[in-house]
Amino acid sequence: MKLIARIAGMIVLSAVMFAQAPLDPAKLLQLPTDMWPMANGDYTGRHYSPLTKINSSNVNSLTLAWVYRANPGSGPAGGGGTTSATIKGTPLQINGVMYLTIPDHVWAVDARTGREMWHFSWRSKGGWHIGNRGAAVLGNTLYVETPDCNLVALNIKDGKERWHKEICDLEQFYYGSVAPSIVKNHVIVGVSGDDLDIPGYVESHDPETGELQWRWYTHPDPNDPEAKTWPSVEAMMHGGGMTWGPSAYDPELNLYYFGTGNPQPVIAGRGRQGDNLYTESIVALNPDTGKLVWYFQASPHDTHDWDAIEAPILFDGEINGARRKLLAQASRNGWFFVLDRATGKNIVSTEFVKTNWTKGVDAKGQPIPDPKKEPQFDGALVSPNQGGAVNWPPPSFNPDTGLFYVNATRAFSVYYLYDTDDKPEGWGGNDRSGWSEGMLEALDYKTGKVKWSHPWSGNGGVRSGLLSTAGNLLFAGDNASNLIAFNPKDGSILWHAGMHTSMSNTPITYELDGIQYLVVGAGDSIYAFALLAK
Amino acid sequence: MRHLIAIALLTTAAAIAAGQAGPTERQKIDNAAATRGRAVYAQYCINCHGSNIKGGDNGPDLIRSVVVLRDRLGNDIGAAMKKLDGHPRDLTPEQIVDLSHFLHQRIEATSSNRNTNQPPNVVTGNVEAGKAYFNGAGKCNTCHSPTGDLARIGTRVTPPINLQQRILFPSVARGGKTTEVTVTPSSGKAVTGTLVRIDDFNVTLRDTAGEYQSFKRGPNIKVDVRDPLAAHHALLDQYTDADMHNIVAYLESLK
Repeated sequence: MKLIARIAGMIVLSAVMFAQAPLDPAKLLQLPTDMWPMANGDYTGRHYSPLTKINSSNVNSLTLAWVYRANPGSGPAGGGGTTSATIKGTPLQINGVMYLTIPDHVWAVDARTGREMWHFSWRSKGGWHIGNRGAAVLGNTLYVETPDCNLVALNIKDGKERWHKEICDLEQFYYGSVAPSIVKNHVIVGVSGDDLDIPGYVESHDPETGELQWRWYTHPDPNDPEAKTWPSVEAMMHGGGMTWGPSAYDPELNLYYFGTGNPQPVIAGRGRQGDNLYTESIVALNPDTGKLVWYFQASPHDTHDWDAIEAPILFDGEINGARRKLLAQASRNGWFFVLDRATGKNIVSTEFVKTNWTKGVDAKGQPIPDPKKEPQFDGALVSPNQGGAVNWPPPSFNPDTGLFYVNATRAFSVYYLYDTDDKPEGWGGNDRSGWSEGMLEALDYKTGKVKWSHPWSGNGGVRSGLLSTAGNLLFAGDNASNLIAFNPKDGSILWHAGMHTSMSNTPITYELDGIQYLVVGAGDSIYAFALLAK
Repeated sequence: MRHLIAIALLTTAAAIAAGQAGPTERQKIDNAAATRGRAVYAQYCINCHGSNIKGGDNGPDLIRSVVVLRDRLGNDIGAAMKKLDGHPRDLTPEQIVDLSHFLHQRIEATSSNRNTNQPPNVVTGNVEAGKAYFNGAGKCNTCHSPTGDLARIGTRVTPPINLQQRILFPSVARGGKTTEVTVTPSSGKAVTGTLVRIDDFNVTLRDTAGEYQSFKRGPNIKVDVRDPLAAHHALLDQYTDADMHNIVAYLESLK
């Protein structure tokens, strides 16, 4: 009996040890195999796994390994209403433990069994509870944003709070939703909120103490030439540009990349004539100083709420016979951009769905907005609609096929201007959506041309993130609750499974004990699939 | 200019530093108090901060003011007015509370002005041009008639923004129509009915007898979906905004 008790004790200890194992920072610089150590999988943001145990020849044998249902309880959420248990964030998997989030909640779950290990709940003071995009881990600490503007650090062993720091001002209608990023000794966070005219920024915190290291606002210094893209300093400093999307990092160049959101006021742009830098831009910062290195503006003077926060994807490729360090983004405005990520110089600018709002591109490769398609008092018929040709769910780049995969939407709506004031503030208008169609596209990064397209049945775009793997697989979700494996070379369907609702986040994969798992979130549940022989 | 930014950053930093002890909910607006506060504003504040509260040459925008945003029932604006030159010193505590309700009412209205209670006027086109488009390039008269299904449509669908939306984005259900589908198995009889659901793997219909039927899709089964609104969807790529406004004006005139 004593022996059994001792063995049982050892088993418990070993389980606890698993849960306690910190994240080795070196893992952040490797391709994800036994872990999914950051929301993007790795710093490139490709959402690509080198794992091959699940592959195109055996994907038909995938079976359900476990399901975990997140239950946040019934406590009040404050601010933007009750918390809906929809998992939008990409989970992490570190040393056999999965960490998943919804607004105000974090769970640690055994990645082999789906059993809950701990649940952290934040008592909210308010803020929009629209979604949480995920957490970050460094060492023994997990970092997560809350809707009421806090960066919270938890001990990954037991989910107990280590500290929290306010990262934005709830009173100015900011809120927190972003997955923090770990770059060396920096925890970098972005902010959300476009109800009022407030400036966007990213800021960096010390991983141990939470102290602020630097903050970079998404507008120029008034003395910079770029400030001339605003009519006044006041308009610029209340000009929006939230930072609520994913980021990427190149360790060789030591550059940190992300996209910025819409300018403010959102729809009524007559009080902010000009390009409105650095809103709706892809930017590169030095992560140690927070200084801007380069920018490329996806939507100059936007008036359609087309945040350019979609994932910047890093890969190396061949352009005109030369090897280049590239960055690609499929942007919410319907345009696909490929840039040199060392300099920000444009290589490709092309529509990945047909749009009707531009007059071509300028010498820098930036789309030129057609003033006639700005919102009008009697309406302007615009494509894409406010939801965009893509939105926050990440695309995937597969180095084996050289193709960039994106869940695209072609949509029309009418944009109306409501605000007749000389100085519009807030939104000042809106669109009314009507009709849309969705398709999964594979783009040739060298040209932006559509290599293949899979139309989704029925009307409406699909919002699911994508994952491709070295097993010759591309995983996506449709609007009919299916998780689908495609052949990434030609778009043919290889496998599917029906879930209780449609995929609401981005698939991840990892290998534990020789078994490769495929994990997706759908509504309040996490589904894990694997090849389980016995 | 740098000085301005420094002040702005300090203001923001102070707001953040104080944020931890901040109140948990936004101020609940007392509309009667806000109405009284409007009168206080008109008497004491309007000359510098403007009729729209958004500032002017002599005073800053109070909707974008961090002091006002952080204020609760006058606690911050009352204190600020005592410190700032050129501000009234003789307001009663009740007047300051009323002013607070008024300013927060304007902030709330600004934060939600993506919505409107006043439908925009979308009848700006030319009736005759709209009629010409209806019978010409738009080919609307192929399926519709101004004396048939569209008779008195300008009276039946109001306000006109709803008419504009229905022209562009008609609904199958609203039009009393259905999306028809015919499923033909390679070794069976074709089944036609109303489409219930379709994805890449299954198609479901309700047949003419009202029976619910599901089919597994595959290479040996033909599925033909007939969207009655396909012509409308195709027009979205062809309309100019002038076409859109003209056709709205024409149909709105059918009363």
